[in-house]
Amino acid sequence: MALVGNIRDFGLSDFLYLVDRGYKTGGLHLSHGEETALLFFERGKLVMAARKPEDQHPDLLVRLGILNEAQLAQARASLANRDNGTTLTDVIIEENLAAKEQFQGALQSFTEEAVYGLFGWPEGEFLFEQNQRPAREAPVIPTPISVDHLIMEGVRRIDEWGRIKDRIPSTDMVVRFLDQPGERAKGVKLAAEEWRVFARINGRDTLAEIARKTNLSEFDVCRIVYGFLTAGLVEVMRQPRPLPVKGGATVADPPRVKRSLVNRIINRIKGM
Amino acid sequence: MQTVKMVISGAVNAGKTEFIKAISEIEVVSTERRATDDTKLIKKETTVAMDFGRIAIADDLVLHLFGTPGQKRFDFMWEILSEGMLGLVILVDSTRPETFRETNRIIDFFVSYRDTPYVIAANKQDRPNAWSPDELRLALRQPPHVKVLPCVASDRESVKNVLLELLYVIQERSED
Repeated sequence: MALVGNIRDFGLSDFLYLVDRGYKTGGLHLSHGEETALLFFERGKLVMAARKPEDQHPDLLVRLGILNEAQLAQARASLANRDNGTTLTDVIIEENLAAKEQFQGALQSFTEEAVYGLFGWPEGEFLFEQNQRPAREAPVIPTPISVDHLIMEGVRRIDEWGRIKDRIPSTDMVVRFLDQPGERAKGVKLAAEEWRVFARINGRDTLAEIARKTNLSEFDVCRIVYGFLTAGLVEVMRQPRPLPVKGGATVADPPRVKRSLVNRIINRIKGM
Repeated sequence: MQTVKMVISGAVNAGKTEFIKAISEIEVVSTERRATDDTKLIKKETTVAMDFGRIAIADDLVLHLFGTPGQKRFDFMWEILSEGMLGLVILVDSTRPETFRETNRIIDFFVSYRDTPYVIAANKQDRPNAWSPDELRLALRQPPHVKVLPCVASDRESVKNVLLELLYVIQERSED
């Protein structure tokens, strides 16, 4: 079943988070006016991004200087004799037609730039076709890319409050790390400003206080924390609201109910 | 006679009225009016005040179900409706990701200040291209302990299941 929507309503960084945490495999088709893009994911990691139809063609490997024409022809000929589970990328690596590091580096840079450009789209239809995979001859990255740092880079390109305020409605909110942020953070490359904010997160200071301590604007702190949030590194919480107290419990507490009463309701609904 | 209350909330057109109608023993008291704002693009009539349903548990105990209005300009009603509630069902239209942001705002309103027992009902699971409960959990950034349940609000059994799952959450927090 396909997931459809518009990145105006459900942002690309949110979608990448869903793909990452859901270990999704499939093709994400995006369109914005005349522009289109196609991204493929394998178990939550990015394996290919094409902004033009020709970027899905093996000739891309020649254009990027990874192979020459003769090497590409040799790889394609070998692929024709291999089983359906083998990709052109597998053949290139197995037959040493290109050094894996060079292959990975060149194709990864190209793919990342293709994705970064998509964060500039203010809106665009998306359709995620689950379990769709690239063609066997498509230029697929040897080692799939973790989307965490793609999310961080995408968020760096956000320059308006609107989207940030959806997740961070107030600078009076407190930031704290989720479980084992160090492990999650390994895939994320932080810029110097981001490290300054990262180092100030202690579960007590509000965003406004972090802005003051880092000498960054509140907008910059919120944008950076929005990136951490989107990458699943931190959570933001409201500070407890000062409330009048009634009989030792705050008025905001839900009523304590008797188990016997709940059991009666359960039995009644079961019997309906 | 003791009355207890559950609140059914969600964005416009999430299926709140239908949910209450599916389970209420009385004709649901709705205050549906012709939509006058952007809502009219989605549905001709919408709930501008609230829905009210009722289930008699026993001679001495009644469960009231309150559906909140979906539009932002009726936020003030949420505070009133949430006072003293046993628990909360957040309904989501699983086919409309454009409502997920609003759904998060509603969850934030009801849950951030109170430790309210709640479940999320992923409604319209019978429609093509409905996001699955697992996908909705990720889209709404809900932690693993929050129940995100498949739901078809027009189906009584499905509604019963959602209410029961909420009651199990409430049961865990209840006192002997």
